[in-house]
Amino acid sequence: MTDEQGTTGAILVVGGGISGLTAALEAAEVGNDVFLVEKNAYMGGRVSQLNQYFPKLCPPSCGLEINFKRIKDNRRIRTYTMTTVKSVSGGPGNYQVTLETAPRYVNSNCTACGDCAAACPDEIDNEFNFGMNKSKAAYLPHEMAFPRRFVINKAGLSADGAAAVKAACKYDAVDLDMQTETRTIEVASIIYATGWTPYDPTKMDNLKFGQSNAIVTNMMIERMAAPGGPTDGAILRPGDNKEPESFAFVQCAGSRDENHLEYCSYICCMATFKQMTYIRERYPEAKIYVFYIDLRTPGKYEKFREKLMGDANSTFIKGKVADIIVEADGGVTVVAENAVTGDKIHQKVDMAILATGMQPTQAIAPVNGGQEMDSNGFVVSNRATGILSAGCACKAADVVTSNQSATAAALKAIQVTRR
Amino acid sequence: MNVQPDLDFIKYLKGAGGDTLKKCYQCATCSVVCPLSTDDKPFPRKEMIWAQWGLKEKLVADPDVFLCHQCGDCTAYCPRGAKPGDVLGAIRAYSYTHYGWPGGLAKLASSAKGLPMLIALPALVIFVLWVISGGMTIPSPETFSHYGYQQFFGHWDFHWLSKNVFFIDIMMLPAAGLAVFAAYRGVSTMWKAMAANAGMESAFRPSVLQFVKEFLWPSVLEIVQHDRFRECKTNIDRVKGHLPLMLSFMGLFTVTVWSALANDVFGLWIPALHGPMSVWNPIKILANVSAVALIVGVGILWSNRAKAEADAGATGTFYDWFLIWEIMAVGVTGLLAEIARWSGLAAPGYIMYFLHLVSIMMLFLYMPYTKFAHLVYRTFAMAFERYRDSAYGKNPLDQ
Repeated sequence: MTDEQGTTGAILVVGGGISGLTAALEAAEVGNDVFLVEKNAYMGGRVSQLNQYFPKLCPPSCGLEINFKRIKDNRRIRTYTMTTVKSVSGGPGNYQVTLETAPRYVNSNCTACGDCAAACPDEIDNEFNFGMNKSKAAYLPHEMAFPRRFVINKAGLSADGAAAVKAACKYDAVDLDMQTETRTIEVASIIYATGWTPYDPTKMDNLKFGQSNAIVTNMMIERMAAPGGPTDGAILRPGDNKEPESFAFVQCAGSRDENHLEYCSYICCMATFKQMTYIRERYPEAKIYVFYIDLRTPGKYEKFREKLMGDANSTFIKGKVADIIVEADGGVTVVAENAVTGDKIHQKVDMAILATGMQPTQAIAPVNGGQEMDSNGFVVSNRATGILSAGCACKAADVVTSNQSATAAALKAIQVTRR
Repeated sequence: MNVQPDLDFIKYLKGAGGDTLKKCYQCATCSVVCPLSTDDKPFPRKEMIWAQWGLKEKLVADPDVFLCHQCGDCTAYCPRGAKPGDVLGAIRAYSYTHYGWPGGLAKLASSAKGLPMLIALPALVIFVLWVISGGMTIPSPETFSHYGYQQFFGHWDFHWLSKNVFFIDIMMLPAAGLAVFAAYRGVSTMWKAMAANAGMESAFRPSVLQFVKEFLWPSVLEIVQHDRFRECKTNIDRVKGHLPLMLSFMGLFTVTVWSALANDVFGLWIPALHGPMSVWNPIKILANVSAVALIVGVGILWSNRAKAEADAGATGTFYDWFLIWEIMAVGVTGLLAEIARWSGLAAPGYIMYFLHLVSIMMLFLYMPYTKFAHLVYRTFAMAFERYRDSAYGKNPLDQ
């Protein structure tokens, strides 16, 4: 693939979420070869886990689906799921990248008919739904998974299960002897679009996540509200399935905090307003309390904030929740000081939603890939080395901003290939 | 609202360990995690914004500033590293200077720049008195083993009051008297400011007896039992140092009162009360146990503070360290002087005894202006808290 300048012309995009998809498509549609690698068994990243997303509150199928179609139709993009970057050597214009593909145990014969899952006796925690329900050990990651192919969790499969799954497949697609594969590719430039991971809420010991079923995270609410989620769209308290009559949103749970994430995660205020609409659709009378430091609703989102702050059954309190008390009836009491009135508030609610922030995935599991990172684990684009970043790997952002930065990264990557 | 920021006050706080105060963004985490903060008057969030705005008058008349025990939980959980615990410490340091009388002495005791002067002043007074007394001779081993330091300022045959006691009285009594007066003056000014700030127009005032019984004594009991201190989480280890230290002070206070009575009153008729006590005298046992507790207690506080500064990022200030050094000096010089006496080393013993007198005089003299002042200001703030919530604190016509 070497051109007359000695560069290979190909671009590696690491991460198949909304930013990675955009970067890959932009570069490929200009004529560059693109390798798109994704750690999960499916493309679409965090957006696919949302019930609705900004700016238009669309379901993720809208937006992702068209991108999947563009990828399928574009012969310049090669996609690798369950694949990670192991090492990077070489220099700008000529990087040798070793990729490692974990075994899926299902080959390309799979038609996603679902017979293996029906026959499989073994169940595992459903990671896509943050462990709120179980899936079979032979499973489709989620209902709109792309590529549409089953995955087998071999560690979760019993001997009987293995036999049953193998026997159930009419297409000889189950291959339990599949091995880890490594391959080396040559690329001119690398775009890290490795996205974000919800900040681990157990790290905030005063917020008691894990000590009560009434304490959930904002991403868990997205899954609950999603039609294909663990509760088929109902927002219920995990454990006792109670329909909550009162909710507390705990803003800045881990964000803007030197002890956790020192930056503003940008999306959590908007996510809370959005989730208030989910609650209102289901529980028109429920009480909602939002505890915040500042409400950050940039640009056009300000209108959305105004609308929701007009909700008669919602109360906004300027003061960060710094303690949550687990109550015997299954609810919790959140404690904050109202910084406007100077009173301490103990608000009993049926469900507390931690608006946890986004931590760059590179801060948790950094790739050994020559990327420059800032102190928070965000990847800094470097045009000289051609190692770039896009989306939430680069900064905390919403989908619109992520796509803008993905387009920018694609342009920089293309420039490296044409130097 | 018309805010008149006192810029010099803000500057002072920044220099006195409150350099982080401008980082506060009013999230109020501190007021929730503070184990001492109450539901109707939470702190230290409001103190942080008052400090940022330079509202000095509000802060020096705010009981919550003194109710803070600097547990450090607020500082540990603060998302911005604004260290509310350190800022409140700086406000207290400021308040002691603010209420201190005479002002010059209070200001001298407020910064490291004054330290040479703070040591020189009592050292000079005692040295001059030592010269005047004519007792400046190192005694023979026999005299030393018999009289110890009882003839430090010499000896006369005046039957009623020994020369030594006379000289100690003429320097320590004025120093202690000044301290007591300055503390009284400061506390009563603070009380009036707090009452005015809380908008209290009391129709009735308690008698002195009622005041002591209903407000002061319960506060003292609470302090002795360390009830609030034990609520702390982050710096709970400080109780292990503060409790023995406080008990040792109570023990040494008892010993001092007894010695004063024995030497100045009973000694007038029973001369045998003059002279070193036997090691097995109950008073001497109390003195020695207290001395050890004092050194151990202040040693624990010393290491806790050093650790807090190294690990938790607490700010080291002259205000905090002066008291630790001073108490350590009192304990160590006292103990070394006693050991010298047992070992018959007269010359080093006399030097230690001199330093011991200097350090004790410093403790007395600077009590109302240094961190030691928390002894009175915090006690009265706790009494004020009770007073504010009592029937006296409310105008019955407003109810």
